Amino acid sequence: MLTTYDLFNDVLSMRNMVDRFFTETPAKRRGADYPYVNIYEKDDTVQVRMIAPGVKVENVDLQLRDNALTVSLKKEDDHKDQPYIRRERQFGEFGKTVRLPYRVNPEKVEAEMRNGLLTVKMVKDEAAKPKKIQIK
Amino acid sequence: MATEVTKLKKDSYDCEECVIVPAVDIYETGDEYVLKADMPGVQKEDLDITFEKNQLEINGKVDPSLVDDENIRYREYTLYNYNRRFTVGEGIDSQKIAARLEDGVLTLTLPKSEAVKPRKIEVKSE
Repeated sequence: MLTTYDLFNDVLSMRNMVDRFFTETPAKRRGADYPYVNIYEKDDTVQVRMIAPGVKVENVDLQLRDNALTVSLKKEDDHKDQPYIRRERQFGEFGKTVRLPYRVNPEKVEAEMRNGLLTVKMVKDEAAKPKKIQIK
Repeated sequence: MATEVTKLKKDSYDCEECVIVPAVDIYETGDEYVLKADMPGVQKEDLDITFEKNQLEINGKVDPSLVDDENIRYREYTLYNYNRRFTVGEGIDSQKIAARLEDGVLTLTLPKSEAVKPRKIEVKSE
């Protein structure tokens, strides 16, 4: 079927685009990739804190290799087969490797999941501490 | 100009009134509305949920020990207190609203009042 060009169609699609931009914007927008990480350092301890709401302890995998800590998380989809009024939360498998400022003692790593935050506490390895060298 | 931008950026990060608007899912079943919000860093005791005049307000205070910035080396997130408000229509039984916090996820169930629940209508035969 032939139709004549209708200027208003373009105007409407433009309006939809603008509407979408304002209504479908996620609640948070950031530069870094999920999961978000903060690193804290004090004296000879280093702490990695990661935001992980809705992640169960059994779905967290931590690996330490040299001075790199790799975290893999799985946030299980809890969406129900029901009509949604709002749907902003995201699910899936996420991972990140963070480079620690120095080598840590692999025997003294403490990890804890609390209130949707993963905290990994580590202590500087003896080998990474400065040593005084005697001159003969 | 560059320093002004840096200052502006710093101010916007260091503000005390800043809040995080948590990501929320809301779905509807026959009997209730269920709301789920991601609120990492909030303890059960620091949650404040009010329902008044069809306004549902969720406030969550972040544990101050998590906001400590003194020893930070690298940052991808900043935790602020959470706040979000919803206007809820008629037909919620406000006495029966229930909340649960698990792994940093808040689940609110808002049961529908009897008047608006779906009802099966019996057809009478004569």
